[in-house]
Amino acid sequence: MISELEDIDELVRLHQARIRRFVTCSTGDPDLAETITQDTLLRAFRGRESFRGDCSLSTWLTGIAINVTRDHLRSGRYKFWKQLKATAVDVQEMASYLPSQAVSPERRMLAKERIKELYAVLEGLSYNQRTIFLMKFSEEMSVDEISEILGMAVNTVRTHLHRALKAVRNKLGAKI
Amino acid sequence: MTPASTIHLSEEALDDVLIGLGSAESHAHLGACAECRSRVATIRGDIALFNAASMAWSESRRPQARVTESHAKRLPAAFLGWAAATFAVVVMAFSIWHVREENPANQANTRAVQQAQPGDSEAQIAQDNQLLEAVNAAISTDEASPVDEYRILESPSAHSKAHSKTRMK
Repeated sequence: MISELEDIDELVRLHQARIRRFVTCSTGDPDLAETITQDTLLRAFRGRESFRGDCSLSTWLTGIAINVTRDHLRSGRYKFWKQLKATAVDVQEMASYLPSQAVSPERRMLAKERIKELYAVLEGLSYNQRTIFLMKFSEEMSVDEISEILGMAVNTVRTHLHRALKAVRNKLGAKI
Repeated sequence: MTPASTIHLSEEALDDVLIGLGSAESHAHLGACAECRSRVATIRGDIALFNAASMAWSESRRPQARVTESHAKRLPAAFLGWAAATFAVVVMAFSIWHVREENPANQANTRAVQQAQPGDSEAQIAQDNQLLEAVNAAISTDEASPVDEYRILESPSAHSKAHSKTRMK
């Protein structure tokens, strides 16, 4: 078994930020993402015996995060709280976390705008399209891995990706 | 094959390259066409920017309540601790009350207080009734009440009746 799975602190240290990022962008709800991230890591640790190693640990954790997210989104409890208190990602804040590189303020500002535009495109996608886009381009999973985790045909995954990319191109249009 | 400089990759072919399912032809075209290479690079660059910023944002977030396995194991212990503390407080309060109840001096004081509250004497009741009648007389005169200015239908006598019944025996 992978040593990261033997130590919950190590598991959290290495994977918490990545899972939180994925779930936040997938659900658009940072508070819910926090809960799902913790549930995911706890569930992974408790079920570590079931990790067979036929995919990377990151892929396995992403699969658990997707299942936990589905459970939360289906639960009536989530719907109630969602109506009561809707939290949203502050994309302005997120864009400001652009790692500092030796670029001019103008280029940095343009980069922030691109990030905000891309996030706006993701928000406009269906949950499936957005999740598949993130699995492919943020989690760097292969189409086959996405297909297996979601139990979806490869062609369906491909169609979702095409639609998502088309939306990205339409939004960022002239610049691509 | 048409020259790479005149015919560019279709959107679908471009997307397949981005998805990682690009054909050999598409890759060959990209090798020769700077414009298509630039289009692929631009969208990859945007996604990379987004990934970098969202990851940095996520790393900066501090979880509100970090749940770890050890923490999860501690939860029942914490609950038992609070339960034990609450039980101790309840036992102490009951003990204090019990000791006070059993103390003969306290019991004597309690009886003394009870005995110090005899029923009202006839004279006291008569005095109270006299006072209430005086009050009734004062509020049921023919003088217009300030309340009448507001044309409230309820008559003052209703109040006086209520007052007069208060202490009648």
